[in-house]
Amino acid sequence: CSDDFTEQPAIGALSDAAVQNEDGVELLLIGAYSTLDGIRNNLSGNGFAASGDNWWFDVLADDAHKGSTDGDQAELFEMETYNWTTGNPYVLGKWSSTFAGVNRSNAVIALIATIEDADLTGKLAEARFLRGHFNFELQRIYGNVPYISEENYANTEFNQPNPGPIWDQIEADFQFAVDNLPATQAQSGRPSSWAAKAYLGKVHLQQSEWAPALALFEEIINDGPYALNSEFVANWESAGENSSEAVFAIQFTADDAVSYNGNIGGVLNFPNPGPFGSCCGFYQPSQDLVNAFQTDGSGLPLLDTFNQTDVANDYGKEDDEAFTLHTGPLDPRLDYTVGRRGIDYNRYGTFPGHSWIRATFSDISGPYLPAKNVYQSGDTDNQGSGAWGQQHAGINYHIIRYADVLLMGAEAAVETNDLASALTWTNLVRNRAKNMTYIQDETGEVDAANYEIEPYTAFASQDFARKAVRHERRLELSMEGHRLFDLRRWGNAASVMNEYITNESRTIPNFGTKANTVEAKHDILPIPLNAIDLSGGILQQNPGY
Amino acid sequence: NENTSTSNEVEVKTLQSTITGTVLDDTGQPLPGANVVEKGTTNGTQTDFDGNYSLNVSDGATLVFSYIGFKSTEIAVNGQSSVNATLAEDAAALDEVIVLGYSTQTRGDLTGSVASVDVSEATKAPVVNAASALQGRVSGVTVVQNATPGSPPKINIRGFGTSNNTNPLFIIDGLQTDDPFVLNSINPNDIDQMNVLKDGAAAIYGARASNGVVIITTKGGGYNMDKPVVSVDTYTGFSTVANTPDLLNAQQLGDVLYQSAINDGTAFNHPQYGNGSSAVVPSTLNGYTRVVSYDPITRGPASATVNPNGTDWIDAITRTAVIQSVAFSVANGEENSKYNLSANYLNNPGNLLETDYKIGQIRLNSEFKIGDKVRIGEHFSTAYSNSKGGGGAQYEEAIRSSPLIPLYDDNGNFAGTGAQGTGNSRSPLAQLNRQSDNFNKTVRILGDVYLSAQLMDGLTFKTTIGGTINSFNTRGFQALDPEHSEPLGVNQLTERNQDGYSWTFTNTLNYKKTFNNSKIDALVGIESVKDGVKGKVVSRTDFLFETPDFYLLNNGSGVPLVNEAFDSATSLYSLFGSATYSYGDKYFVTGTLRNDTSSRFTGDNKSATFPSVSAGWVVSKEDFMSSDSALSWFKFKGSWGQLGNQSLPASNPTINISNLNEQYGNYAIDGSSIATGAILSSVGNPNLKWETSEAINAGVELGFFDDKFNVDFEWFKITTKDLIVQDNSLISTTAIDAGAPYVNAGNVENTGFDVTLRYKDETTSGFKYGVDINFSHYKNEVTDWISEFQVGDESYRGGAVSRTQVGEAISTFFGREVIGFTDTGRFEYRDVNNDGEINDDDRTFIGSPHPDFTYGLNFNLGYKSFDLSLFLQGSQGNDIYNYNKIYTDFPTFADGNRSVRVLDSWTPINTDATLPALSSSIQNSETQPNSYFVEDGSYLRLKNVQLGYAFSDKVANSVGLDSFRVYIQGTNLLTLTGYEGFDPEIISSVTGNNLTIGVDSQVVPQSRILTLGFNLKL
Repeated sequence: CSDDFTEQPAIGALSDAAVQNEDGVELLLIGAYSTLDGIRNNLSGNGFAASGDNWWFDVLADDAHKGSTDGDQAELFEMETYNWTTGNPYVLGKWSSTFAGVNRSNAVIALIATIEDADLTGKLAEARFLRGHFNFELQRIYGNVPYISEENYANTEFNQPNPGPIWDQIEADFQFAVDNLPATQAQSGRPSSWAAKAYLGKVHLQQSEWAPALALFEEIINDGPYALNSEFVANWESAGENSSEAVFAIQFTADDAVSYNGNIGGVLNFPNPGPFGSCCGFYQPSQDLVNAFQTDGSGLPLLDTFNQTDVANDYGKEDDEAFTLHTGPLDPRLDYTVGRRGIDYNRYGTFPGHSWIRATFSDISGPYLPAKNVYQSGDTDNQGSGAWGQQHAGINYHIIRYADVLLMGAEAAVETNDLASALTWTNLVRNRAKNMTYIQDETGEVDAANYEIEPYTAFASQDFARKAVRHERRLELSMEGHRLFDLRRWGNAASVMNEYITNESRTIPNFGTKANTVEAKHDILPIPLNAIDLSGGILQQNPGY
Repeated sequence: NENTSTSNEVEVKTLQSTITGTVLDDTGQPLPGANVVEKGTTNGTQTDFDGNYSLNVSDGATLVFSYIGFKSTEIAVNGQSSVNATLAEDAAALDEVIVLGYSTQTRGDLTGSVASVDVSEATKAPVVNAASALQGRVSGVTVVQNATPGSPPKINIRGFGTSNNTNPLFIIDGLQTDDPFVLNSINPNDIDQMNVLKDGAAAIYGARASNGVVIITTKGGGYNMDKPVVSVDTYTGFSTVANTPDLLNAQQLGDVLYQSAINDGTAFNHPQYGNGSSAVVPSTLNGYTRVVSYDPITRGPASATVNPNGTDWIDAITRTAVIQSVAFSVANGEENSKYNLSANYLNNPGNLLETDYKIGQIRLNSEFKIGDKVRIGEHFSTAYSNSKGGGGAQYEEAIRSSPLIPLYDDNGNFAGTGAQGTGNSRSPLAQLNRQSDNFNKTVRILGDVYLSAQLMDGLTFKTTIGGTINSFNTRGFQALDPEHSEPLGVNQLTERNQDGYSWTFTNTLNYKKTFNNSKIDALVGIESVKDGVKGKVVSRTDFLFETPDFYLLNNGSGVPLVNEAFDSATSLYSLFGSATYSYGDKYFVTGTLRNDTSSRFTGDNKSATFPSVSAGWVVSKEDFMSSDSALSWFKFKGSWGQLGNQSLPASNPTINISNLNEQYGNYAIDGSSIATGAILSSVGNPNLKWETSEAINAGVELGFFDDKFNVDFEWFKITTKDLIVQDNSLISTTAIDAGAPYVNAGNVENTGFDVTLRYKDETTSGFKYGVDINFSHYKNEVTDWISEFQVGDESYRGGAVSRTQVGEAISTFFGREVIGFTDTGRFEYRDVNNDGEINDDDRTFIGSPHPDFTYGLNFNLGYKSFDLSLFLQGSQGNDIYNYNKIYTDFPTFADGNRSVRVLDSWTPINTDATLPALSSSIQNSETQPNSYFVEDGSYLRLKNVQLGYAFSDKVANSVGLDSFRVYIQGTNLLTLTGYEGFDPEIISSVTGNNLTIGVDSQVVPQSRILTLGFNLKL
């Protein structure tokens, strides 16, 4: 019997040696990009929570309700009603998928360090950009997270303590990316140095480091390659993907069969049954959000008073019960963001009312549908197929788009009292909205609602500018997974949320009854119990949990 | 005086006469193959099939009659020409030859812990998997039945010493495997012996023996039979679900939902039960729709009439199943050849609709003598089976389906959740019906060929090559579900094809020598084992027709998808030897040594050596023991051995493995076309080494009143070192998403004892009775661990429910301890650390899945033509985590059904309640792991009762049969338990990982079976 007999190779596997070259780096780098959507191997926790598009963080903010019936994804109901527990699988799902991203990036970084005969700086910069992204997500969600370095990765030392923020490491990754990425990339899924600058600016902004943030945004706005699409809605259509407005996006792609590259984490967020019999009725915009789109007679938002009147809604009414559309002036972006009764919904025809809503009138989800994450009728490239594949949408998720850059720039400018820049950049965003095509009624010849929007003529004070820019962010970027982190950055999350719960209860009484008071501890999620248990006590729980 | 003996020999040769006669058992049945030997000589013969013999003996000779399992009898010839003998059954069966794999030994000589199954008794119950025959029959062996048709039971020998595969090594004639599915392919009627090695005696099997070894030999016919014996055994059984939980009816569920809303302070406004001051069961489902067309999916209104009492979903998906089995065999043998040919067919439908298991098998065992010294033989079996699953998931759907939904809508289509307020479970009835054309077909060939040759006196060479080849072929069609509230957009066909093989090549040299009072039995051997599997899973969507004749992958219009492809192999190369020395049949000592080299490990860890020693002392054979004392047998025995375990679910655990991965690795890097990516899929551990067990066994065997009453007692201590587990602390939630490496995590001790009591007697009036009791206890304790603790399976809602930690037993339940109710009717948890607040630091150990003891009781009664056997089996002191309560006792799916336990929810006037105050959402973390879910899982089960009647020879002969017996039997007729779930007899671990045991989730409940059968011979 020869010695070979007790050597059995792993057939079909790539050994460590097989990937230790340029091709191997590229294979693992694609593998790292692949975790941007949040879908990973051996996921712990809730799979929908893992989603890279951060949809359910809008549910924790004032933009959206969970949707569907209260008992559907009861764990998310607990999150929405601020009945947070450390064992909630949503808390774990996002955590575990994001760390997979951190470490797939580490795998590339560690591998490149072992290859001497090729210049892989560009790949290294991409991998560090990705690691920066994943660590940024962790940092702003959980507050106190362990930093897993490429050395930790190489030594299989994943249990690291979480003494405090890891901003410095995040900034270092993005700075390396700024310094080493090319200004343009042939493949639209890869970040350019401009994208790295935008992200680095975003990282500074989240820490209220206004000056360095402003410097970066100014450079991008003045010298960068970006421009706003003429149509707001083009950002969520296949034709408008990777356009001049796209800075960095998750490249979701619908394909035949079961679409692994579609937005699997977002599959719940389609109308049920709705215009195309989809599933599952989640991610319903709030009345508070709809109210925020009200404008005054001069086309400007009701910054302080939008909740004093409610945009007419059909909550509690069946389709066959009479309903009168809201006649007051509205920002036209509303109906590209929110589906509501009486208005065309993503070109599928007029939203008939409750028959497209899965939630019942005793549930806390309200009468609205999400629009940005749902592909437009006829946009077949973005529609997946497969057993449940029609929900595996190919709509790219914009981690950063140019409108976001402009408004982040405006925010940094406001805080440094550069009100002129703030006004200019905010008005760029408003003017695009003003000049875009408005949704029409069934005749196709008349605006579907009383749309009125105008740019600001001036920012009278820093306080006013702050209020205006923050409100503009909500109008432009709502239902894109940013709102909760904006509130956290502004330091008013608890008060805004408690006010929201009160306001929302006017139209959805059960929401007020079931939601708990938001406290300061809710500014960050708890560290998942499972993570603490598996760390053998190395990870420490966040305060208050 | 040598001269005298020489002259006697001469005399013997000259004064011979022929003696003939018949050897019968004590029921008057002839004993074929009994030994007849002239005492003090090697002159002897065997009886033929009718128990007749003929032998030339010297005058004045004494004949010794013996037969395995019977007491030997000596009869002096005294000048007679005909000597008939009747042999009594030997209760202790000390002379029985026990097959130990490489060698055989008589029972009285054993020094290790070897338990034998009374196969004829154990296979009385309708046994599907041969391993089921171990349940309750041998002490120290825990067997839990799996009620999913075609699934093997879970076997554990003497506690939990490993976290991976706890299956013992099965030796089936010349084949070795630790895959219990292989035992499905053994016809229980073909089994001749089934022996279990529980201690260091198993060390001869070294690297694969630490879970114990089960040795099965199949029947092979007998030499010198004068005609073929044909046996037919057949039965028909009627099975029903033994127990179902009590759920709410339609009105009760409405009342619970109403009260939940009131308690929450919200207005009651339910799409089905209305918005009045009480819940009203609707006459039809309000707003019921179903899909009327696809692409896009369009729903249309439909009508569905509600049953006023609600739908009993469990009743709707279960049935009385008819089990049928026919087994046939023919055995014969001449001077130089023998054979046993058998065939059987079993149809074992499940109690769940459309679940099924069918198997047909053919076996031929034969052996040929070539000259005096050489024997060549083979065992060959082919089995074909088809199973249709549908396991615990459908029971779970049934539990949480709304009772408002009828089985069918008013047009006769399956009804579902297409109306608000009816939850989102899939109709289990529709699912079961739609899978009725799925299959899981297996063809398995197994067997071996051997040659043994006597090289010189006492020295035998044996070579055996055994193996199995199996081919799996499955079809899973996922049909459209237009009644469901979350409908599929397109149907899908998934097919799996997989071929596996396993072979064992063994060569041994065995030397046996007797001189004076000493016996030597020595063995050396060399063995190679290889296992491999290769296969793929392919799926495709969008089939135009949902009829089975259309289910071929090329009929789908979606893009074909390779879901999975695999090709792996492992090998093991071994050298081994053993030597036994005995003196005067009183003193025994055995030593074994085995060296194994495994492909699973690398470097210095690749090879290991496993020694064992054992000794025995038969006190009752000492001169100082009175031969007429009540104590007829008294033996001490003891053993020590080291055993290994290299069975892992991974073939290459020492290296990092990256894969191209379509699902988790690819990405549309250019925005549209998909780029190929790779991911690290498993992390290797180059330092991984064998898991080894050190087993100590000490026992005493006592026989009283001519061995009518026997007591066996054995104490054991098994220390498992370097336990191999996947280290989820190393690859934790903050790590790469690869599979965790296998590591040597710690040490575990199992200490316990096994007791067997047997009594067997017959009164002068012919009333025969026997009692067989076995009783086992083990205590499991983790004595060392690489981390503070390891959590169990995390995939449950609310996370892991068990934890493994030093000082506790493996997989002990861990969570909050419920100590009562708060003033507002919520669970009150114990403040474990007394810090005044309740949080995660107040979790503690809340129960153990390990029993205090398990036991089996077997009673046999026989009178004239009647025989009766009763078999009881039980477990005492183990806890079960009743995970189903997450659905039945809490609003995890608010509109789904609940257990009647929720009717005893807390209210201000019912504070001594079972459950907390009703709410429409989960409050106070009440479904996170806590002690409410932990229940006492003790049970005593009347596993089997059988009453048989054997017709007299006259009656049998008149219809041309040699014998004819009919029986009626009941299985699982009665279960005494306080457990509130479906069934306390659960296979706990879905994942097969022993760090999570005793969790009742998606378990298919056991069946109650009434069986009618007959056995005939001709």
